[in-house]
Amino acid sequence: MKNLIASAAMALTALAGGALADDNYPERPIMLMVSYGAGGATDFQARIVTMTAGNEDALGMPIAIINKPGAGGRVGWNWFAGQAESDGYTLGAYNIPHFIAQSIEGGVSYSADSFEPIANWGADPAVFVVAADSEFNSMNDVVDYAAANPGKLTFSGAGLFVGHHIAALQLEKAAGVKLAYIPNNQGGAGAMKAVIAREVLGGVNNLSDAFRAREAGNVKILGVFDLERNDFLPDVPTLKEQGFDIDNSSVNFRGVMVPKGTPQPIIDKLAEVVPTMFANGRVASRMKAGGSPMHIMTRDEVIEMWKAREVALTELLAGL
Amino acid sequence: MTDLPRVQHVIASGLVAAVGVSVAYISYTREPAAAFLFPRIISTVFVVLALWTFGKALLGQTKIGNGLDLEAMINIAPGLAVSLIFVFWAAQTLGFYTASTIASFVLLSLYDPAPHRELKTWIKRILITAGFLVVMYGLFARLLSVFTPREIFF
Amino acid sequence: MEFLAYFGEVFTPINFGLLLIGTIGGLLLGATPGLSPTMAVALLIPFTFKLEPAQGLILLGAAYTSTVAGGAVSAILLKIPGAPANIATTLDGHTMAKKGQGARALQLSFLASAVGGVFGVLLLIFLTPVLAQWALAFGPSHLFWLAILGVTVIGTLDSSSVVKGLLSGCIGLWLATIGFDDIMGAQRFIFHDAVSGGINVIAALIGLFAIPQVIGMFANGRRPLGAEILTVESHPISKAFGEVFSRLRALSIGTATGSIIGLIPGVGGQIAGLVAYDQSKKMSPERDKFGTGHSEGVIAAESANNAMVGPSLVPLLTLSIPGSPTAAVLLGGLLIHGIFPGSDLFDNHPDVAWTFINSMLIGQVLMCIFGLYVAGLAARVAQVPNAVMAAVVLGLAVFGSYSVQHSMGDVYVMAALGTGMYFLERFGFSAAPLVLGLILGPIAEANFVQGSMIANATSSIGSYFFTGPLNLALIATVVASIGYSVWLELRHRRHTAKEEAVAKNEATS
Repeated sequence: MKNLIASAAMALTALAGGALADDNYPERPIMLMVSYGAGGATDFQARIVTMTAGNEDALGMPIAIINKPGAGGRVGWNWFAGQAESDGYTLGAYNIPHFIAQSIEGGVSYSADSFEPIANWGADPAVFVVAADSEFNSMNDVVDYAAANPGKLTFSGAGLFVGHHIAALQLEKAAGVKLAYIPNNQGGAGAMKAVIAREVLGGVNNLSDAFRAREAGNVKILGVFDLERNDFLPDVPTLKEQGFDIDNSSVNFRGVMVPKGTPQPIIDKLAEVVPTMFANGRVASRMKAGGSPMHIMTRDEVIEMWKAREVALTELLAGL
Repeated sequence: MTDLPRVQHVIASGLVAAVGVSVAYISYTREPAAAFLFPRIISTVFVVLALWTFGKALLGQTKIGNGLDLEAMINIAPGLAVSLIFVFWAAQTLGFYTASTIASFVLLSLYDPAPHRELKTWIKRILITAGFLVVMYGLFARLLSVFTPREIFF
Repeated sequence: MEFLAYFGEVFTPINFGLLLIGTIGGLLLGATPGLSPTMAVALLIPFTFKLEPAQGLILLGAAYTSTVAGGAVSAILLKIPGAPANIATTLDGHTMAKKGQGARALQLSFLASAVGGVFGVLLLIFLTPVLAQWALAFGPSHLFWLAILGVTVIGTLDSSSVVKGLLSGCIGLWLATIGFDDIMGAQRFIFHDAVSGGINVIAALIGLFAIPQVIGMFANGRRPLGAEILTVESHPISKAFGEVFSRLRALSIGTATGSIIGLIPGVGGQIAGLVAYDQSKKMSPERDKFGTGHSEGVIAAESANNAMVGPSLVPLLTLSIPGSPTAAVLLGGLLIHGIFPGSDLFDNHPDVAWTFINSMLIGQVLMCIFGLYVAGLAARVAQVPNAVMAAVVLGLAVFGSYSVQHSMGDVYVMAALGTGMYFLERFGFSAAPLVLGLILGPIAEANFVQGSMIANATSSIGSYFFTGPLNLALIATVVASIGYSVWLELRHRRHTAKEEAVAKNEATS
């Protein structure tokens, strides 16, 4: 009896799904899984960039944000790779380099192959911050201190094998010094609090959050872990300008993906519509107001970017 | 009467102690050790307290909690069975709303003291079930737009 | 006194209308199991996109204050705490409701909430700069000791046996370690897919409190049992006023505890209610009445969890650091309008800042008025027959735990923990210490790990965790708290346990 009902139900959904998936998708509200808590930078940006999803020229159906926070994003992505339905109604937000670095490090059941990217909405470089009254005024001051006191320069970041940690590893490697990276269990906000409260001597943090903290007069920003200076912080030099060989591997790219196995027509439709949704003028103005740098990339560009990151990160983490 | 709670106490505290011992065993054998430092501390305290409680139960010195009498167990059995089937099987397989409708109606029929032989009783039970489900649908599906598993209806 | 200048803003028709919507909506959302204040506020964020900044914040501020108080409604009437903040309210509040005194419990809780809440917001208005320093003073070592202090509360909280209370707490501490560890990312105790993401606190709360109650109703069988003939006492509001203000000790302990620990980033909101409950129990001459529907319990718990609302926003508004998940969501509400909390907020947008703060002040009062208005009506829930109640609570528990993260795993965890808890409760274990362990475990662990990492890099663990006035003060409090528990246990040994235990064991004694 149980099997009968189950198979009948499956037949029904298969029929309905097969016939309707291509043309009428989406027919009901879509959910977007964010692997960080409500109020974090990823959550906040995801809420903004999806706010116009219900418009007729976008998907025509609203997108609801579901938070599955924990262990630097591992909880959410593990769920997304293993338990999320690949019916096109479950989207996920990705953070690069976080999930790729975690999959290289191991202990999780996902890798870049578990997901299909749709589009990228933002790129948030890591920056190095110190408290406003700190004696450090440039990255060289920081590195000199670390060279004189090996392993004693404590600095905070959002966790292990997330963008901040990658930036920290790059700094250690490029400067040839030993540092004490202290991962925080409350993400970027907790790491920033540790810097402002002077629990640690410095910290790696998101550009968007650091920009805000500097506006509030709480921190100095000493360097940007990116290839070029950022529009929000034209006065802050990159690490490269200050003589450290560091590229943009740690830049936090945020975008939308679906689980592997989602029907190709749905992926195509999303890949076509979602970037235009991000490009909406209202979205752009809200993101700018919040101090969040936007960087829209299409599905093809994201596939390339994922591949490049995978290679770069494998190389960086192999040295550990 | 005095023996039943004593045996039950032994069983209950024994189960808790067994959980404690297995948690401790896992904590002390798994790697990486750094990640299991905290579980090791907790499970040590856990085991000590659990064995103490177990010992007291064996000696019959447990004063608090009087276990379950036979009547209560018989009363609980059908309701618990329905609830567990509802949560662990029906909710996912039949969809939340269908499963809740059936479960609520069955539970009402099982535990409502009104006489089963009157038509009025059954109409009342159907109305209560329907009313409750309408409220749930309005609250969760409409207002909060929570998309629950739904196989057959809704 | 700058805030007075902006009081008029709150009373413009649109703003006041939003305040009303936020308050009533917040009460409803707060009373819904599974919806924590954080999620309720996050749900409202999209509505603020189209509003002016000040208006959007009025809506969010009103919703925040009233969801916290709304959680007390389901805690008292259904014994389902809406959020960790309301756990302590179930202990005496639900007992009162079962005795037909639901109206009294609700009135007390709303009045106490309003008193605590107004005090908290006043602290926010007058002492913000001082409080901001205090919030920053708590580093990893202090938060660790604070969590340990919370653990010592476990033994004396709602349990007739200290050993079983501690054991329940240990079970909770262990449950909290399930899943990925927060810092290293190692997998621990994942024995089933449903717990691969760890145990969600809200889902666990619903299960641990609601399910034992459902099974307890099953245990009564088909007997018509009291509930139908129970008369719900109507309770004049004036009497509730009198009672709240005659319980000054509980009220002030609750308000002070809530304001002080509400301020500490990352800890406060969740445990303020429980700590306040435990403290006022220890200091009350009528401590034996706690847990049996004693008004002090409700007053202390509810005044504490609303007092924490104002101070919990201090780190956000002054330093731009969200101190709690809810504050983080409110930060989002500010950012989308291009307003940065911190000096920018008070210097360049004083109209937004003060209108927001004022709206929370007025919101507390409105929330109280609405609450008192519906209390009498809502208390009739106690008259609902057992069978109907069991079905309704079970349904709410399933839907509520699912809606937290849209996850079937949470529903399984909820049901499994709840069923286990019913049987454990029959043998003297209790849910409140277990939940406290579940909440405090990650705080203690993460701060210990972070603290020892900093200590290893800079000095030594000994000097990092055991020196400094704040560490020493916290350690002294921990020692005192343990000593007090031991003394209580020894005293218990001599006079038999609690009245409850005596009554239950008539046969043996």
